[in-house]
Amino acid sequence: MSNSAAGTSSKTRAASSQPSEPSSKRRRGVFHRELQHMMYGFGDDPNPLPESVALMDDIVVEYITELVHKAQDIGSQRGKLSVEDFLYLIRKDAPKLNRCTELLSMNEELKQARKLFEHDDENLRKTFEDDADG
Amino acid sequence: MKQSKDPFEAAFEESPPESPIETEPDPDADTEIPISNSLNSQPIHTNEEEEEEDNHVKNTSSTTSINTAITTTKNNNNNNKDDEEDEEEDNMDVELAKFPTAGDPHKMAKMQAILSQFTEEQMSRYESFRRAGFQKANMKRLLASITGSQKISIPITIAVSGIAKVFVGEVVEAARTIMKERKESGPIRPCHLREAHRRLKLEGKIFKRTTSRLFR
Repeated sequence: MSNSAAGTSSKTRAASSQPSEPSSKRRRGVFHRELQHMMYGFGDDPNPLPESVALMDDIVVEYITELVHKAQDIGSQRGKLSVEDFLYLIRKDAPKLNRCTELLSMNEELKQARKLFEHDDENLRKTFEDDADG
Repeated sequence: MKQSKDPFEAAFEESPPESPIETEPDPDADTEIPISNSLNSQPIHTNEEEEEEDNHVKNTSSTTSINTAITTTKNNNNNNKDDEEDEEEDNMDVELAKFPTAGDPHKMAKMQAILSQFTEEQMSRYESFRRAGFQKANMKRLLASITGSQKISIPITIAVSGIAKVFVGEVVEAARTIMKERKESGPIRPCHLREAHRRLKLEGKIFKRTTSRLFR
């Protein structure tokens, strides 16, 4: 039940974002454009067939849905989804696990770098203001 | 794909210094052209592409560190371009450029050796591979609709996007393998994808429904 609700809600949202076409025909799916680039990068034609992209979109959405439901089952004790649930679920899949940990550590480094940058920015501003006042 | 290629190329031209890997091919681009002229046999190119893509997907620690740099920059670039914050973009690119070199100088050298010998088609495919990624906004929306809760934290979005991308890679590679077995060529067709999905299910890489099937 929640599967179909998620599917229809995502599709209606995609349809509402493009009001010029009738919503019954506009079933482009959630990830149409990105999937085209992705499939080319992974070995498909530079112009993948639209049916293939649509099918891949359904496959990916179904996969993500299953993943999230399983994560909810695991993390239901905490009441909230956390990243560790996902990491636990993919623990046996080496490429995915490594990719995930790399992405998350990159995110952390980015955050810290951004903080540093803002901190330096503020210090610069303060020194300039002091010079201007003095 | 023509419509999507223009902003694609524009994005590539706007932000060239994304990482040492992508800056290096620029001076190497001069050497690429004579190489591509000399290598005229296409079947060899496609085999090389597939091998290198297999290596890219299977070499986890080495290329993923660099992949994450590029894909996170690209994702951030997409979001920032939507928000029209170009100045922050350049700063983040410069900062990210420092990270991959700090990690694995050995593997960096290997990557650059491979990259310098890419043909144009291989280079564009590799560029697509690196840059393609799911939009954070779309992913957030999808996750919110699945979980039913409105707040999805950013690390979850990032993690699921990464997992989904690797998954797409697995399915597409399996579909290509099936096409080789059946000795077909051209774009991937839905029947290949379905067969690939079925095989992955048999291997256990796709989650099976956990609902109890006892009392159906």
